[in-house]
Amino acid sequence: MILHLNHTKRDSAAAATSEVVSTFLSLLEEKQITPAEFAHLQIFLDWLQYKQNFREPVMVMNAAGEGGGSSGMEVRIDSRQVRPGALRELVQKAIRPADPEQRNETGRIYLEDFQSFRSSIVWDFNRLYWQRLKDWEHVTGKGYQQALPGGISDGQQPQAIADSVGDFWTLLKDLENQNKLPQEVFVLEIGVGLATRAGLWLDRFCALNQERGTNYYPRLRFLLGDYSLSTLERSRPAVKKHMELCSFIALDALDPIKTLSFLRHKILHVHSTNMYDNLPDEEIVWRDNRVYWVQIRAYVPAAEAARIGTACDVAVADIAKTVNRLLEVGAEALPDRAKGMTFWMEIWKAIRMEERLVDAVDLPDASFPAGLSSAHMEDILKDAPGDLRFHLSSGALESFRNTLPLLHPRGYLQVQDIFVTDLHEYCMGFYGPGKLDGSIVNWVNGALLREVAERAGYDLHFAPFQHRAGSKTSVLYTTRRE
Amino acid sequence: MTLPILPTTMVGSYSMPGWLERLKTDYFARRISRHDLDEIHDAAVRSAIKDQEMAGLDIVTDGELRRDNMIDYFIERLPGIQIDRSSKKFYYDFYDSEVLGKIPMAAIGLTDDFRFLLANTEREAKICITGPHSLCKRVRNKHYPTEEALATDIARVMNMELKELVKAGAKLIQIDEPYYSGFPEDITWGVKVLNMLVEGVHAKIALHICYGNRYGKPSWEGSYRYLFPAILSANVQQLSLEFARRGGEDLDLFREFSPPFELGAGVIDVKDHAVETPDIVAERIRKTMQFVPPEKIIVLPDCGLFHLPRDIAFAKLRAMVEGARTVRKELGR
Repeated sequence: MILHLNHTKRDSAAAATSEVVSTFLSLLEEKQITPAEFAHLQIFLDWLQYKQNFREPVMVMNAAGEGGGSSGMEVRIDSRQVRPGALRELVQKAIRPADPEQRNETGRIYLEDFQSFRSSIVWDFNRLYWQRLKDWEHVTGKGYQQALPGGISDGQQPQAIADSVGDFWTLLKDLENQNKLPQEVFVLEIGVGLATRAGLWLDRFCALNQERGTNYYPRLRFLLGDYSLSTLERSRPAVKKHMELCSFIALDALDPIKTLSFLRHKILHVHSTNMYDNLPDEEIVWRDNRVYWVQIRAYVPAAEAARIGTACDVAVADIAKTVNRLLEVGAEALPDRAKGMTFWMEIWKAIRMEERLVDAVDLPDASFPAGLSSAHMEDILKDAPGDLRFHLSSGALESFRNTLPLLHPRGYLQVQDIFVTDLHEYCMGFYGPGKLDGSIVNWVNGALLREVAERAGYDLHFAPFQHRAGSKTSVLYTTRRE
Repeated sequence: MTLPILPTTMVGSYSMPGWLERLKTDYFARRISRHDLDEIHDAAVRSAIKDQEMAGLDIVTDGELRRDNMIDYFIERLPGIQIDRSSKKFYYDFYDSEVLGKIPMAAIGLTDDFRFLLANTEREAKICITGPHSLCKRVRNKHYPTEEALATDIARVMNMELKELVKAGAKLIQIDEPYYSGFPEDITWGVKVLNMLVEGVHAKIALHICYGNRYGKPSWEGSYRYLFPAILSANVQQLSLEFARRGGEDLDLFREFSPPFELGAGVIDVKDHAVETPDIVAERIRKTMQFVPPEKIIVLPDCGLFHLPRDIAFAKLRAMVEGARTVRKELGR
C-alpha cells in the first residue's frame, strides 16, 4: 500500500494518516480486502478547500480500458470531510462494491456516461448559472460576488486599478515618444461581470489623462466582451460616463480572436478577472511514465434524489430527464417556477462526480489543447513527480492561445485569477473543482500556461495580489519574448 | 530558365515540421548525433523543395529548415562571436551572444547549403541571408564603439561569403533586414552597411523588409515611409515588403518616390492560418499593379512560412500561384 499525502494541513494530516493505516490494516486482517488488493492499493489523502465540491468523503477509482497499466485500486480520501472515527465505515461503503454498475443499485442516480470532465453536464449547469444569474440572485437575495470566497472580487480594488492604469499610461507615453502611438487605442475586458472594474478603470484613466495633460482618453476604444448578452446589458450603467468610448461585444471567452479578428495585432491591453477559473477543464494523471485521462460521471446520491424529488414533485425515475430539461429552459422546466428554482439549486448542491482513469492509448481521439503536443508534455513532465494529477486547464489554455493574436506588438495581457505556478504544488494541495453557488471554480495551471506562452512568443509572470491580505489571486501578465 | 511575368517565390523559410523541431531539440539534448541531424535536415530540405515545386513556384529556396532561427545560424558561423550555449531552452530561442574583439575575416560556410539546393531542383534558386543590421541587434557589443561599426565588420565578412555564393552559382540573393522596421532611426547607416555587404557581388540582390515574424507575430507596427528616401540609395535590384497583413496603403510610396527597384509584393498573410483564395491573391496583385508595372512585380508571401502548419503553408502557396496565373492570363502573358 502506498499512501500519498496531498496536503500540508499539519494537524488533520497526522490524524488522518494514522487512522487510514489502522483502517486498512484491519480491513486486511478481516479479509475485507485481499493481500493482492492491499499490495496495489494507492491511497491519496486530500484536503478539499472548497466546502461545496463534487467529492464523497471517500472515493474509489479504478483504471479502465485495455491499456490500464494502473492495476489495483485507488482510494481518495478528503481529510476535511471525514470526521474522526468515521473513516472505517466510509471506506467499507466505498470499496464494496467496487463495480460501478452495482453502485447504481446501491444509491446513485447517474446523469451521464463517463466522459472527459470538460464535456460533463456540470459545465451545462455552470452555463445555466451565468445565463440566468438574475434568477439565482433573486432567490438567494445576494449577488454573485458575495458568493465568492472573499465576498468581493479582487479585481475591483482601487489601488490595484490605479496601478494598472498607471502602467498602461506609461506604455502609451512610451509609444507616443517613439511616434508610434496608434490613432485608436484598443483595450479589451473579457468577462465583464457588472463592469465595476471597467468603470473604475475608465474613471481613473480619464482622471490620469487630465492630471498629466495628455490626449489619450479620446483615443481610447474600450471593448467589453462577454458571452452573456444579459450580462453585457447589466454592465452598461457602470460605464455610463464613458459610453462613447465603450463597445459591448458578445464573444466566446474561449475564442476571442474569432469575434475580434478585425483587431488582430491591434489591442494594447487585454484584461480579465476570475474568468479562467470558470472555464471548462479536465485533469490528467502522470503515472509510471504514462498519461491517464481522468473521466468523470456526474450523479446524484439516491437519498438526495428522493428528498429533492419529494420537495419538487418530481419522481425519482424522472430526475435525470428533468435535469436535462432544466439545462435547456431553466426553472421553467417545472410547472411551478419556484419549485423549478428549488430543483435547480438542490440538484446542484447534491451533484457528485464518480471518476475513472483511462490510459491515453485507449483514447486515440483525446488530445491536448492547442499549443501542447504530447512531445511537449513529455518534456514538461520529465522532471515531475512519478505520480502526479493535475489540471490541463484546457479552457484557459484555449482562451489564452486565442487571445494572444489580438495583441499589438507592444500589447500585453493581464489576468487576475487563482493560479498554480509550479506543477509540484499539485502534490501539496487541492485546486478544484469546487462549487461556488451555481458555478464551478478550478485553479488554473499557470505552469502549463507558461510553457505554452513561451512557444507562442511570450514570457509569463505571476505577481501575487498584494492589495488585500489573504487574497489567493495572482496577476498574470505577459511580456514579449525576444 | 526564363521566368514568367509576375514570378512567384517564397520569402525564405518553409513550414517547420513538428517532428523536425523535436529532433532539433534532441540534438541539443545530445540524444542524436550531428551526422544524424545533418541527414534529417537534408531530407527535410528536399521535402520543402518538392513542396514548392508542386505548389508551382517559379523560384525556390531551401526552406531554411537547417536554421534554428534567422539569427543564430549566422551568429554561430561568424568568427569572434562568443555564444552562451546554455542560453537556449528551446531550439527556436536566440542564443545570448557577445562580441569581445574585432571580427576576423573567415568563411561562414553557406555555399554547401546553396549547392545542395541547386543539386535538388531544376527551378531558379534563391538563397536568403540575414543582413548585418539585424544581426548586430542580437549581439551584445562589447568591443566596437558603435553598432554601425559592428555591422560594418559583419558586412565585410559576409561580403566575402556572398562572393563565394556567386562563384557557387547564386544568381539571386535575398538579404533580410526586418530590424530596420524596429529601428527606423538607423535607416541611413543601415543602407550604407547594406551597400558594403553587396559591393562587388555580381548577382541580383533582393532586400526583404517586414515588420517581424518572430513566433508568427509582428514585432513592430508602423509605415514603410521611414524607408524613404534613404532606401533609394541601396544597391539592390528588388525590394520585398509585406502588404497582405498590413494592407496596401504603403504602395503609394512607390508612386511618390518611384524607386528603381522591382517590388516583391507580399500577397499572403503568414500570420493568419486562414488560407487566401486565388481570387484574393489576384486582387492584391491587381492593386499592386496600380502602383508598379507588372514587369517589376514579384509575387511572394509577406514573410517566411516557418510558423504555419505544413498543410496551410502549402495551400497558401498554391493559392498564391493560382492567383498569379489568373492575373497573367488577364495580361495575356
